[in-house]
Amino acid sequence: MSEFTGKQRVQKLFKREPLDRMPCFSGQGTVVIQAIEKMGAPFAKIHTDAKLMAESAITSARLFNMDGVVVPYDMATVAEAMGRGISLYENAEGIIYPTVPDKWKTLEEIDIPKDYMTQGRLPLVDEAFKIIKKEAPDLAVGAWVLGPFTLAGQIMELDILLKGLKKKKDEIAVFLDQVTQVTIDLCKHYQELGVDFISVREMGSGTDLLSPRMWKTLIGPNLKKVFDSITDVPCVNHICGSTDMIIEMMHECGADALSVDQKNNVAETRKKLGNDVLIFGNFDPYNTLTQLEDQAQVEAIIKKCIDDGQDAVWPGCDIWPDVRPENMETYTKTVREYGKKPSPAVGRL
Amino acid sequence: MATHEEILAKLKEAVVEYEEDDCAEAAQEALDAGMDPMVAVMDGLAAGMEKVGVLFDTNEYFVPEVLMCADALYKGLDILRPHIKLDADVPKASVVIGSVQGDVHDIGKNLVKMMFDVAGWDVHDLGRDVPLETFVEKQLDVKSDVLAMSAMMTTTMMGMKKVIAMVKEKNPDCLIMLGGAPVTRDVANLFGADGYAESAGNAVSEGIKMIGRLREYQKGDIK
Ligand code: B12
Repeated sequence: MSEFTGKQRVQKLFKREPLDRMPCFSGQGTVVIQAIEKMGAPFAKIHTDAKLMAESAITSARLFNMDGVVVPYDMATVAEAMGRGISLYENAEGIIYPTVPDKWKTLEEIDIPKDYMTQGRLPLVDEAFKIIKKEAPDLAVGAWVLGPFTLAGQIMELDILLKGLKKKKDEIAVFLDQVTQVTIDLCKHYQELGVDFISVREMGSGTDLLSPRMWKTLIGPNLKKVFDSITDVPCVNHICGSTDMIIEMMHECGADALSVDQKNNVAETRKKLGNDVLIFGNFDPYNTLTQLEDQAQVEAIIKKCIDDGQDAVWPGCDIWPDVRPENMETYTKTVREYGKKPSPAVGRL
Repeated sequence: MATHEEILAKLKEAVVEYEEDDCAEAAQEALDAGMDPMVAVMDGLAAGMEKVGVLFDTNEYFVPEVLMCADALYKGLDILRPHIKLDADVPKASVVIGSVQGDVHDIGKNLVKMMFDVAGWDVHDLGRDVPLETFVEKQLDVKSDVLAMSAMMTTTMMGMKKVIAMVKEKNPDCLIMLGGAPVTRDVANLFGADGYAESAGNAVSEGIKMIGRLREYQKGDIK
């Protein structure tokens, strides 16, 4: 039997077709310092150059024999394209991710430009996808977008948005509607670019911040609209932070897979949702890949994800680029080897 | 006319129910009734916020509610504070506060800031994503008793260590307090900070303790 490519493995996973082993990929940022060093570029530069972005993604995957790549790396691209600026920290020491310096401060100020898709770094990200597809046709290509609520929090002050959820319900609902359309348009755009999957990250909406009741009325319905609109490419509903209280509602939004972080009790989630649902997660990337020194501990964490019933082992959040290479090695190797056994939703050949 | 008890209860309830107008009204009533404004702040506004903390811990309130309660509290505080008499002998404590460079998380920092405001400290808020040097410059400029830094990411937390080294070099007496989800007391000690608080609720008492320790040290009580 011929070996699958990473791309085929990921495609089959989403179709829940039997596999040789668990694919090793992620829908969260997966760029590592070892790859960036190979590029000979500082961290700040890989966000502003399509070639560096694409090649650092591919190199990260190749170094550790992963099945897929994801770009971009920061969550500020869309806000920047809407004219909210970008802080790149070019002179800072160490790794600092780009952030949005100039969010809208009131609902009245908000004015989403029509042409944002062609502004800021969004064309550069498109270019990176094209390079990746050309240079690494064997790898699964993942795109990601922010969920409507999290995107809203990137373009306007989050505290105003949060308070508005209670005090200015109607105005906020109109605004969230608008932003939902942006998320949908972006998904359609990436679908047209021919990515293999899209992860919708509604990361600021766990119950660390919002009540399950608010989630039900303000987050769920918009996410459902997004997933209903993505028809040609598999999509993942990712939320980090506390999700135990909302996991069933997440499931009802209709994505092809759910992704959660280390705060979710996955064994329980499996019981609640059954074995047919694709679930990805849920190790703490910083602790597991950057901090731990004992490889046996890294291995145990990854094995636990698999034993708890993950169909793919995803980090709960972006991988912090400054990983220990041996931890990355252990993580990916454990997925490839321990992941030879079937997972709840996906059989093995 | 309402009794002092009733006014305190009204202040408290206005904070808990995030009723900004009621809170302002009750604060004015407190002044009109000749209450000690400090009592109104502590036993009214702060007591309300304490209740909010309990509701938050029991998953009854979530962050949006807490932020609205804070807004209501500030409505009352703005009215009461100008009337609080300063004790000329006791210098007013002051704090410079901000979220460190690269970190745009500021909800927790703003709640901590509110507690210092409630306690009557002079608060210099640098906001979020604050360049490391700015902490040093501001602290030296206003000579605050305390420099408080917030980081919500394990990674931006490292910036705090650099600020501590820079500040301590120029002003060894500056007291430094750290906080934010990834920070622990051990981390704070390791970085050379003087204090740490896990939540907004105990940030101010930690600050006061730190100042107390420093004063005793300066008087020579502690070696
Ligand atoms: C809201 C949020 C956001 C918002 C922030 C908006 C804002 N204006 O603050 C948005 C969506 C923008 C955001 C973005 C990101 N976030 Co975020 N975010 C959160 C979330 C869900 C809640 C934080 C919060 O506000 N909590 C509520 C407040 C009240 O609590 P608190 O902040 O802990 O504060 C209390 C105490 O810590 C303490 N305290 C805080 N500061 C101080 C200071 C002093 C001096 C003292 C004494 C005490 C003190 O008192 C406070 C009140 O009691 C957390 C998850 C979590 N559960 O913590 C993740 C989290 C902090 N984010 C995280 C990450 C990684 C990110 C991103 C990089 C996105 C990503 N790739 O996933 C970006 C980067 C942003 C940046 N560069 O800074 C991670 C950090 C992981 C880590 N350990 O490094 C977390 C833990 C989520 C996770 N599980 O992965 N995020």
